[in-house]
Amino acid sequence: MWRGLWTLVARPARGPRSPRPCTRQGSGAPAPGSGATIFALSSGQGRCGIAVIRTSGPASGQALRSLTAPRDLPPARKACLRLLSDPRSEEPLDRALVLWFPGPQSFTGEDCAEFHVHGGPAVVSGVLQALGSVPGLRPAEAGEFTRRAFAHGKLSLTEVEGLADLIHAETEAQRRQALRQLDGELSHLCRGWAETLTKALAHVEAYIDFGEDDNLEEGVLDQGGSAWGVGGGDIWHLSPQRPPYSLSFPPSTADSEVRELEVALGAHLRDARRGQRLRSGAHVVVAGPPNAGKSSLVNLLSRKPVSIVSPEPGTTRDVLETPVDLAGFPALLSDTAGLREGVGPVEQEGVRRAQKRLEQADLILAVLDASDLASASSCNFLDTVVIPAGAGSPNGSSQRLLLVLNKSDLLPAGGPDPSPDLPPHLLLSCLTGEGLDGFLEALRKELAALCGDPSTGPPLLTRARHQHHLQGCLDALGHYKQAKDLALAAEALRVARGHLTRITGGGGTEEILDIIFRDFCVGK
Amino acid sequence: MSCNPSFGGIGKGHLMREVDALDGLCCRICDQSGVHYKVLNRRKGPAVWGLRAQIDRKLYKQNMQKEILNTPLLTVQEGAVEDLILTEPEPEHTGKYRVSGVVLVDGSTVYAESVVLTTGTFLRGMIVIGLEMHPAGRLGDQPSIGLARTLEKLGFVVGRLKTGTPPRIAKESINFSILNKQTPDNPSIPFSFINETVWIKPEDQLPCYLTHTNPQVDEIVLENLHLNCHVKETTRGPRYCPSIESKVLRFPNRIHQVWLEPEGMDSDLIYPQGLSVTLPAELQEKMITCIRGLEKAKMIQPGYGVQYDYLDPRQITPSLETHLVQRLFFAGQINGTTGYEEAAAQGVIAGINASLRVRHKPPFVISRTEGYIGVLIDDLTTLGTNEPYRMFTSRAEFRLSLRPDNADSRLTFRGYKEAGCVSQQRYERATWMKSSLEEGISVLKSIEFSSSKWKNLIPEASISSGKSLPLRALDVLKYEEVDIELLAKAVPEPLKEYTRCRELAERLKIEATYESVLFHQQQEIKEVQRDEALQLPKDLDYLTLRDVSLSREVREKLHFSRPQTIGAASRIPGVTPAAIINLLRFVKTTQQRQAAMDRLPQTDQRLCNTDKLEDRQL
Repeated sequence: MWRGLWTLVARPARGPRSPRPCTRQGSGAPAPGSGATIFALSSGQGRCGIAVIRTSGPASGQALRSLTAPRDLPPARKACLRLLSDPRSEEPLDRALVLWFPGPQSFTGEDCAEFHVHGGPAVVSGVLQALGSVPGLRPAEAGEFTRRAFAHGKLSLTEVEGLADLIHAETEAQRRQALRQLDGELSHLCRGWAETLTKALAHVEAYIDFGEDDNLEEGVLDQGGSAWGVGGGDIWHLSPQRPPYSLSFPPSTADSEVRELEVALGAHLRDARRGQRLRSGAHVVVAGPPNAGKSSLVNLLSRKPVSIVSPEPGTTRDVLETPVDLAGFPALLSDTAGLREGVGPVEQEGVRRAQKRLEQADLILAVLDASDLASASSCNFLDTVVIPAGAGSPNGSSQRLLLVLNKSDLLPAGGPDPSPDLPPHLLLSCLTGEGLDGFLEALRKELAALCGDPSTGPPLLTRARHQHHLQGCLDALGHYKQAKDLALAAEALRVARGHLTRITGGGGTEEILDIIFRDFCVGK
Repeated sequence: MSCNPSFGGIGKGHLMREVDALDGLCCRICDQSGVHYKVLNRRKGPAVWGLRAQIDRKLYKQNMQKEILNTPLLTVQEGAVEDLILTEPEPEHTGKYRVSGVVLVDGSTVYAESVVLTTGTFLRGMIVIGLEMHPAGRLGDQPSIGLARTLEKLGFVVGRLKTGTPPRIAKESINFSILNKQTPDNPSIPFSFINETVWIKPEDQLPCYLTHTNPQVDEIVLENLHLNCHVKETTRGPRYCPSIESKVLRFPNRIHQVWLEPEGMDSDLIYPQGLSVTLPAELQEKMITCIRGLEKAKMIQPGYGVQYDYLDPRQITPSLETHLVQRLFFAGQINGTTGYEEAAAQGVIAGINASLRVRHKPPFVISRTEGYIGVLIDDLTTLGTNEPYRMFTSRAEFRLSLRPDNADSRLTFRGYKEAGCVSQQRYERATWMKSSLEEGISVLKSIEFSSSKWKNLIPEASISSGKSLPLRALDVLKYEEVDIELLAKAVPEPLKEYTRCRELAERLKIEATYESVLFHQQQEIKEVQRDEALQLPKDLDYLTLRDVSLSREVREKLHFSRPQTIGAASRIPGVTPAAIINLLRFVKTTQQRQAAMDRLPQTDQRLCNTDKLEDRQL
């Protein structure tokens, strides 16, 4: 569906020079009845020197102020250097040039703001997410800036000649982007969620439209699979008047499915911190039994002597952190104490900290001594850390692990693989540098999976849109739970489904009716 | 009423309230003719309440005829229409012909400035029982063949639909004592905004009874499919009003409900709702008698199927005038709908526009954002239909705004000012109600106490006292267990005043329930209305239009549906965003050119137009 089509009549063709009825010096408060404020990355995707992020709409002033607090709006149309920070966390994002264009003297004719930020994907993603959190702002649809400019008479008709082509191209690009992203895990999830919601909604709508009028038959309701009508936790205990039997609605299936969906969405939003990881860096923790060469690996990766290295086991007793650029990804590298028992209190505290850090890791680099695989500490480490991570952690988080066998230089040259029974692993010698290329490539792949590859991965804008709609969906599901009547509950589900279908496409009334007529025998 | 002896229901009740808000007749007649009034969906929220009643056929007919025959300036003439009288079209409008009257079956002519066709199931109507088929509009009435031929010859795209009706059973032959009884509401809620009560007391109303089909019924149906040509036909029937045969086929091994509904106060017929069937008559009787309570039932009239012509509704404008023939309007089943209420909704719009057209006034169109009537007509004219179209509340995207309780405030004022179809009495009542509601809401907003004080005042309410912010009376009214009565006991001054009118008190409660959600919905409604304010030129020839780059497929779709606004065009499946932008650009250039032309003789013309458009948005 064609949303937010901007219209000419909303602001009748006033020439750009004609005076506005009231000069609004960007009061910030959205004018009543005006459209939403949109934002988008206006420069190209990927890594570049400077990236330009633009907003247009009545809340632009508010957005600019929120990100540059406590400073006031800069003078109109003058570039100013400001510290941008996230309005929620107050975490600094970037030092950037900002520009303020009060309407109508702007590209779109509305209040506009521009943020010229450093072009790293982490910064851009951070600023987009920060903007998304400002009330009244939403990611722009394809071609929406141009459309607004057109609607406000900012583009002459000759300039508009190419507009349709442009929008077509943009829509096409967005579709391809969406396809690319939807090819993977998210696609699977989103489609599944949208299906669940459509079904839940169809059940609620069937109950509203046919429950009493057309003697919706309760036997058919059972077809949904799970048992209806028992759920003590249901919001509604209704015994509709027309069919004397209690259909006990809403279908507990709809209800429990929505509850499950809510949990899944919440987990996804909390867990899919890819943007977050890009900004602050992935947490990479180096762990292993004592004297496996963890500190050597850290020093090798950071290209500086972060940790003291010695042949003595238990040299590192605390967690040592260092920010590094690994294959183009920002990462926070932590060296930890070797995991072993029965040592002095200081080292034991170090072991405790190491274990805690392991729990928080996005990626674990598990280091073992290739020449010492049979030792008790090596076996213990394999059993307690490596194997469980490979089996997937019980709390469903996405912890990744890369198993590295260090000190390959101590193995007999050309000998067989010392450990065919181990999980997939890499051989490396921190001393000679042998196997380093293979290791770095494996590391890059892991980080790309964690952070999203900025060069080929899902574009940041798409990601911001997804997050926006997923959050909107989750909020609506919250309203569903609180809804006091079925019409309100259905409305909440409609809103929730609307958000999901804006990610996956589709979603007309017909689709719901089709399910109703397929699943229920309705009719007089 | 040629099928079910009832009016209203979910979605359908919404349509009736809107018809009434425009002073259409069916609600007022139903308030004088019902025998069992019941509001459906009582506990699912006021936005989806469904006013419904069993109606006495005879009383309805009498009361309706009395009302019509007593309407001043109205001449009623009965006769079957066989042909249309056509003349040259008016050049300033689109269309190949212009209608100027009709020819009756006896050859006489009736001249008219505009004509509304409401053919029901009569266009080439064919009745089916078992393997027998004979031409008829309904049992005992001749079909309309000549008119169907005329319409086809003119170039209208014709389709075929089917529906059915159940057998009628003698009341005294049914054993009601072993069946579940359903009693009517007490008090009865009237359909019409101008009535406070219905004509009959709840205790004098008639009950309905419920029984069920059983495996024996399935058996009879399945064994005799070869004797049942209606079921085999490929003509589309409604998915939601299926015959017992299609229910058995689509959902095998199930028990289906059968409602036994009275046909009227002194009628000895019972209408078994849910038992629409086209088996040969003797098999129908056999099937009926194996149902509980109907063991000794006597069938008075068999059920039958009807197949009939309809015209693709994408050939009419939102004012229900045809694109092809000027001043010719279609309403009801001819447009592919089913149901009395859907027909009444189109009837009132076609009637209003037929009259406005003659007086050279702009058409009266209801938007999707204003009413179910708008949803119905927009769906028909932009999407068409290939099965009998029935209203559901799920078809309305702004369901929480388009409620049965507020149809008057949505439509009565427009009907009064733009169409002149609303009586002074109704207008004044709606005006009083509107100002009382607005005043009531602002009073409720102005009363603020802490939540603990509210809790003391109204211990019945489950107000959580944890919140430190003061609560408005309007917020308290949102609680399920709180109504105006209860609030007025707590704060008699100034709230007592609002308990006097039952309808006002109820509507204030409803407004409070939906207040927060409605605020968001208003924003969305405005967005849709902006698109709908963008008119596309009526005489646009999409097939040959050179200035706009459109694909062949889009051109054909636009050519067939002829959307009147950018909003409607964007709802047509297959019309792409890029096509819409191109159209938008085209409209803008045309508007600018038009404005430039207008500026020559009179400079303020454009301003006037703009003001009008802005008015429409409000």
